[in-house]
Amino acid sequence: MDPEKILSSSDLLVKIETVCKRRFSAENDQNECYLYVIDSLKADNFKRLRAFKGKSKLDTYLYSLINALVIDFRRRQYGRRRIPAGVARLGKWAETVYRFVCWQKFTFDDAYDFLRIDGLYTGSYIEFIKEIEPIKKAPCRENPAFQSLEETGKSALKNINDQGANPLEFLIQKLDRERRIKAIKVIRATTAALPEEDQLLVRLVYGSDQSVPAAAKVIGLPASTAGKRLKRLLTKYREKLLAEGIREP
Amino acid sequence: MGKWMNKTVNPSIEPDSEDHILTEDLARLAEGAVDTAERQQLIGHLNRCQRCYQILQETLVDVSAEASMQPGSVPWWKTRMFYALAVSILLVLIIGGPLAIKHWTQRPPVILASLDLDQGLKDILLEDDALKWEKKERLNRLLTALQQRGFEVQELNLVLLSKPYYQKKSLFGPKEVLHIRIENKVAYLEVKEKD
Repeated sequence: MDPEKILSSSDLLVKIETVCKRRFSAENDQNECYLYVIDSLKADNFKRLRAFKGKSKLDTYLYSLINALVIDFRRRQYGRRRIPAGVARLGKWAETVYRFVCWQKFTFDDAYDFLRIDGLYTGSYIEFIKEIEPIKKAPCRENPAFQSLEETGKSALKNINDQGANPLEFLIQKLDRERRIKAIKVIRATTAALPEEDQLLVRLVYGSDQSVPAAAKVIGLPASTAGKRLKRLLTKYREKLLAEGIREP
Repeated sequence: MGKWMNKTVNPSIEPDSEDHILTEDLARLAEGAVDTAERQQLIGHLNRCQRCYQILQETLVDVSAEASMQPGSVPWWKTRMFYALAVSILLVLIIGGPLAIKHWTQRPPVILASLDLDQGLKDILLEDDALKWEKKERLNRLLTALQQRGFEVQELNLVLLSKPYYQKKSLFGPKEVLHIRIENKVAYLEVKEKD
């Protein structure tokens, strides 16, 4: 394997471009990501490319490598960012809201729910709306829609309305705030109690929208067996939710 | 992806240690190319490490997207093209089969006829004294002449004349008849005097 040849191939460059474009919406970030990945692959005499032992397909290895470097790049980007002092003064809950809304492009409404789920905020929604006023005035270069309480629309994390694709997401969306928070806690606890394989299967299929065959391959099961197992797991989630008085409205 | 489930079930922490899964091992896991014991170990780490989980799931997205773009990613016998081709062949066999069988099993028709040798035919015969006609122009002239006289002939590739034809000197000589046999696009010609 000639790392220089691989790095100069249009195939690898297209892969890097594709991953960077998917992960960053701003053109400037995409370009910086692209250059960062190429520089990192060249670093230390192509150390990362030379680490390939041929145990997997080269294409899969390259994608894993590019994705790892893109995560590093994102960390560096985020690492350079500072939470405005006015926000930091309000406490950890405010910093978390700022991260959710400014950096991760969730809405303030979403942030409130996440805070409640994680136990970082115990006040009412009305109180929350009042208390976030200073956060809304803080600068946010990354998210121009920062001040909005509405869905950003261009959120990297899109809602799913297809019950067949993700029945748990569908259920959560239909619940009101209090029951949603309760349901999420139940789902989180149920997932944590599952065997490791089942946890990963649920994470990949319902947490990350991977296809059942792709997730089954990771778990080491035939796709049909994984599909049956997911049905069984959904029944378990349903029972746990019903036991807590949560049903589909 | 669903924002609620993503936030609810996916790993949200990253262990402080640098003991992450090797990139190539993540690639092997994405391909399903690890043994059971190793898989258990890797899955245990993935359920707790945000970074490794994220690399794996992004890799699955990329590999799946690339596979879907490659025409060869679907087995050839599952492609629409295959089924379309199969249906086309079947239709051709159903519609054209009987015709093909008829074509191959039946002997080509043989045309036998006698024509009074008129001036038009004489002109064609007198062009030269060759017994074997292969020139396209001459063949076409004979073909047209035969078609004008009611012969159902579509094509001639060769004409074989039994003997050279010469113009009779006598103005009132015996009438002549052209005997024709056409088989496999070959015409056999013989001029005989009429009794």
